[in-house]
Parts: sequence; C-alpha cells; structure tokens
Amino acid sequence: MLERLPLPSQFDRVIVMGSMLVVLIAAPIVLVLLALLIGDQISAPEFVFWLAAAVVVGGALGAVLLPNVVHAALSLVATLLGVAGIYLLLVSDFIALVQILVYGGGVVILLLFGLMLTNAQDDPVVTDGSQKPFAFVVGALIGGTFIAAILDAEFGSSAATVVAFEDFGARLFRDYLVPVIVVAVLLDIALTGAFVNARPDPPEPAETTEDATATPGGAS
Amino acid sequence: MIPLENFLLLSAVLFAIGFYGVLARRSAILILISVELMLAGVAINFVAFSTYLDGEAFSGLIFALFVITVAAAEVGLALGIVLRLYRERNTANVDAADELRW
Repeated sequence: MLERLPLPSQFDRVIVMGSMLVVLIAAPIVLVLLALLIGDQISAPEFVFWLAAAVVVGGALGAVLLPNVVHAALSLVATLLGVAGIYLLLVSDFIALVQILVYGGGVVILLLFGLMLTNAQDDPVVTDGSQKPFAFVVGALIGGTFIAAILDAEFGSSAATVVAFEDFGARLFRDYLVPVIVVAVLLDIALTGAFVNARPDPPEPAETTEDATATPGGAS
Repeated sequence: MIPLENFLLLSAVLFAIGFYGVLARRSAILILISVELMLAGVAINFVAFSTYLDGEAFSGLIFALFVITVAAAEVGLALGIVLRLYRERNTANVDAADELRW
C-alpha cells in the first residue's frame, strides 16, 4: 500500500532539484551582495533587503512560471517567507509572525491539499495558455505604470517607527473592534461555505435505498 | 536606512508578477497562488507606508492584518469551490467552467 504512494520519491526529487536550482541562481546574487557589504557599498539592512527582495521576486517568478504545480506551490512558500523577512525589516514583528503562521502554516498546506485532491498534475496543458503574451503585456504595463508612478512621487522622509505589541493589540481590539468582529463573521461564513461546497452531494434517494419499494417514505 | 521607494518598487513588481500569473495560468489553484502574490504585494505596501509615514496611528498594520485574514478565508472558500468544480467537470481548469462567458 505504501509503495503505491508516489509522494516520497517525488518529494525527494523536488527537494534535490529545487535546492540545486536555488543554489545555482542564488549563489551569484549572494556573492555580489556580500562583496558589496564587505566593500561598504551597502549597509547591513540594505544587504538583508536585497537578499529578501531577491527571494521574493525569484519565488514569485517561480510560482508564476514553473510548469509543475507542486514546484510552483513550493516556490510560493519561498516568496511568502521572503515577504515575512520584508515585514521584519519594516519593524513589524507581529505582521511577520502572522504572515509565517497563516501563510506558511495554513494557506500553503491548503493549496497543496487542493493540488493533490484535484490531480492538477495529470493535466499536461494546465499551464499552457494561449493568452500568455497578452498576459505578459498587461502585467508589464501595470508594473511599469506603478514603477513610473513610484519613481515620480515625492515621499516625506521620516524614520521607521517601532510599534509595540501592546499598542498594536490595544488599537486592534479597541479602535478597530467592529472590523475585527466583521472579519470574524466573514471567516465563519467562508468556513461554512467551504464546507458546504466541498461536501459530497447527498446521494440520490432512489440509488441508495435498495428496498425503496418496501419503505417509500424513507427518502426525504 | 532603506528608502521607502525600495519597498514600494518591490511590492509593485510582486503585484505585476501576480497579475501576469492570474491572466496566464489556467488551473484554478495556480490562479489562487497568483492572487496570493498580488495580496502579498498590497500588504507590503500597507506595512511600508504605515511604518514610514504613519508611525503614530499605524492603520496600515491593521489593514495588512485584515488583508492576510481575508486572503486566508478566500483560499479556504475558493478551494471548496475548486473541489466542487473538479467533482463536476473532472478538471480544475477555469476553461472548463465557461457557461457564463458571453
């Protein structure tokens, strides 16, 4: 029974090939950044930022471009952990912790379950869309517009502020109490909806009751 | 000190990559992954603005928390729908459900 499961060897291959690929791509970036750091071209926070940014962008590209769906999902993990690192750089510890907990612990597991339950790998044309060039043009246009707008804008220069956990909690549960309750209701509804949608259909009464002629009132 | 623009540019790049994924992918779950990328980009924006420009009120941190919560709810609900689609059509491709397309 166990050897019929394809998981272990597949995961081994994923891990080995993924690690090799990551090392091949990441080594030059890390080396260049280290050289810049040692040569005092960039400060330590900048070093961490560029490292996290490389992880985020590389993982995002992998999640969007990789043809194997499990690879794409694992690539998403790298991106989300990199985003948590960005939050840490922005001195928002609590958001970083929530990011790791919710995304790394919950969302990615859910996505992997979804991938396995829907056999997405069995579909060879699953990632080959004829709309890819169009999608690339639109994505580049949107990204270019944002980048041009950001480069054009003037931001007031102020230092990053550290928010204590207590202040965060007090503000969340005092000033933002109503939104918190609304989100709680939303989570409740989403859970119920997911359950109702994913539940198997109730079997047809005629198919299940073999002796339907004997007890006609059994079906409801 | 890292300039604010760096974080904004990173989030813009992340959003654009996610947008490309939403348009280019066909499997519903891969589209969900791309939506997660876009939401992460937006959340980075919120946190960056909150930390740099709104340190006293930090409304952006609260918003980022809500973005993460709603994203989690969205993934749970959407996976239920995808499982439903898979059971009905035997595929998780969004192309399989195009009755509403005009």
